[in-house]
Amino acid sequence: MSIGNHPAVEVKQLGKTYGSGATAFTALRDINMRVEPGEFIMLEGPSGSGKTTLLSILGCVLSPSAGQVKLFGEDVSGRKDSELPQLRLSYIGFVFQGHNLVASLTARENIALVLQLRGWSVQKAHKEAGLLLEQVGLPGKAESKPGDLSGGQRQRVAIARALAGGPPLILADEPTAALDAENGLKVTEILRQLAREQGRTVLVVTHDNRIYHLADRILHIEDGRMREAHHEQAPQ
Amino acid sequence: MTTAIARPILTRPGFGLRWRTLARVALRMMLHDKLKMIGTLSGVVFAVLLSNQQAGTFMGLLYKNVMFVENSDADIWIAPPGTEAFQPGKPIPESYVLQARVVDGVAWAEPLLYGASTITLPSGGSEAVTLVGTKAPALHGGPWNVVVGDPQALLRPDMMFFEHADREKFGGINLGSVRELGGKRVVASGFTWGLIPFGPSYAFGEYNLVQQILRTPADRISFGLVGVAEGRDHEAVARDIQRALPDTTVLTRSQYRRSIIRYILTRTAIGITFGTSALFGLVIGFVIVALSMFSAVLDNVREFGTLKAIGATNRDLARLLVVQAVVYALMGSLIGLAFVTFVAGKIRSPQLAVFLPVELLIGTTLVMVFMCIFASGLALLRLRKVEPGMVFR
Repeated sequence: MSIGNHPAVEVKQLGKTYGSGATAFTALRDINMRVEPGEFIMLEGPSGSGKTTLLSILGCVLSPSAGQVKLFGEDVSGRKDSELPQLRLSYIGFVFQGHNLVASLTARENIALVLQLRGWSVQKAHKEAGLLLEQVGLPGKAESKPGDLSGGQRQRVAIARALAGGPPLILADEPTAALDAENGLKVTEILRQLAREQGRTVLVVTHDNRIYHLADRILHIEDGRMREAHHEQAPQ
Repeated sequence: MTTAIARPILTRPGFGLRWRTLARVALRMMLHDKLKMIGTLSGVVFAVLLSNQQAGTFMGLLYKNVMFVENSDADIWIAPPGTEAFQPGKPIPESYVLQARVVDGVAWAEPLLYGASTITLPSGGSEAVTLVGTKAPALHGGPWNVVVGDPQALLRPDMMFFEHADREKFGGINLGSVRELGGKRVVASGFTWGLIPFGPSYAFGEYNLVQQILRTPADRISFGLVGVAEGRDHEAVARDIQRALPDTTVLTRSQYRRSIIRYILTRTAIGITFGTSALFGLVIGFVIVALSMFSAVLDNVREFGTLKAIGATNRDLARLLVVQAVVYALMGSLIGLAFVTFVAGKIRSPQLAVFLPVELLIGTTLVMVFMCIFASGLALLRLRKVEPGMVFR
């Protein structure tokens, strides 16, 4: 395990090709990127540009076809499938587009589940989950199930789950896609604020230009290639 | 501003916490979809019902075949050569009983007559009975389970004990009723309960009376019953008797019991018939449980993908399915066994014995646990193929 003075994310000559032969499809090619610890980065690009593939590789749910990926100095490319869950638990918190909370668990239990998978006792995990819900502005919703929450509230629970246990890297996939403008902005602000306070690095995949101003940097990806985008930045 | 740099999380749950965590999720998922839970449970209940009804009836049938051997107070049986089941063979000389009495370790030895006869009904018809003649005054071969009358009444001339459940069948027979049995006039002096073997019910009479009815030669008997002196090894005494009476089959009570069961299982179609039905019940239950759990995984595939994405391993998901399988098995067994025990109690009669020993109930539950875990394998195969990356699509 490494962290020290290493970049949070370091990608070199990354490539991903699905299939082989005549049906082969190259989703990513020669991707190079570097994200420093504590940065709040947005990744944008048109549909099919490779954003999700890149996020999946950074999230250790997909192996690259070529190149190298380092998270906090640890090379995670070329790892066996059986090692990937441990890497995810060690480094990554996820916020999904559709919140992806477990419908049968309460908000508190959804968050506590991640903590328990990280070795927290049931009691401590439930207590911490309550605190996280307070931090995302849902103190009274601990015992509510996802079906009883609004879209914005669910996404806030998902943010609390992503932050649970203190993973150094948060990957968010279109976290505002299912939310209205006000809620989308609010949810992203919460994510940004908590990540800042806790020293997390955040990479947000988004189409939503209403939240671009919250990013430290915006990366653009198109046809599997990456370039730095130049949007108006939020003041630091 | 950044106040601290986050560190990788290296802590992991121990064995107990991991199971506890996954068990909680498993139970919540089960309870969340109540219809699916009821569907899966019904598969287990159905399997328990069908397999236990068949197994219980089979056990009842076995009991009917061994009940005489189990309930007579003979420790050792002297039977015709080649005897395996409890049925009369070629009669053996009565002198064998006398020879057995002098074997070391024998406390007593008495003859027993056993054979088929017919009782003539007042209406003119007839019904079959299985006649048992036991020697007075000890009456070692029965009757037992006496519900009306005193067995010592058999010492009086022409007295017989009949099966209470067959009173109507025998023409409304009561205490003191006179019937013709194998052409001989007899008087009902008492009744037993539940002594109906796999065939006509037992009717008990004193040895000499039954000898007349069955027209057995005076020096011939069906079986010799032997009581072993206290503290003596039954099998050793049986071996000594066998040495003294080489033209017979000498068996201890437990040996005879095993022999009867083995005979039924291997020499008749009864075991196969009931075993096949019970197996069908298990197979159908297995299919229902397997499909229900598989369908539950398909319905929640995105949730399972999420669990994988946030760090749950395939083993964790296997734990989750095992917990669900075990809970389904235990709940289904509890419901099914309660129901089958209730039904067995309601339909139990001297004619129809559904025997559900504790061993069968425990065995059923264990079989259900294994069946459900095995059935969850199909769902697990599907879960292994769930890619955590699906949550990004």
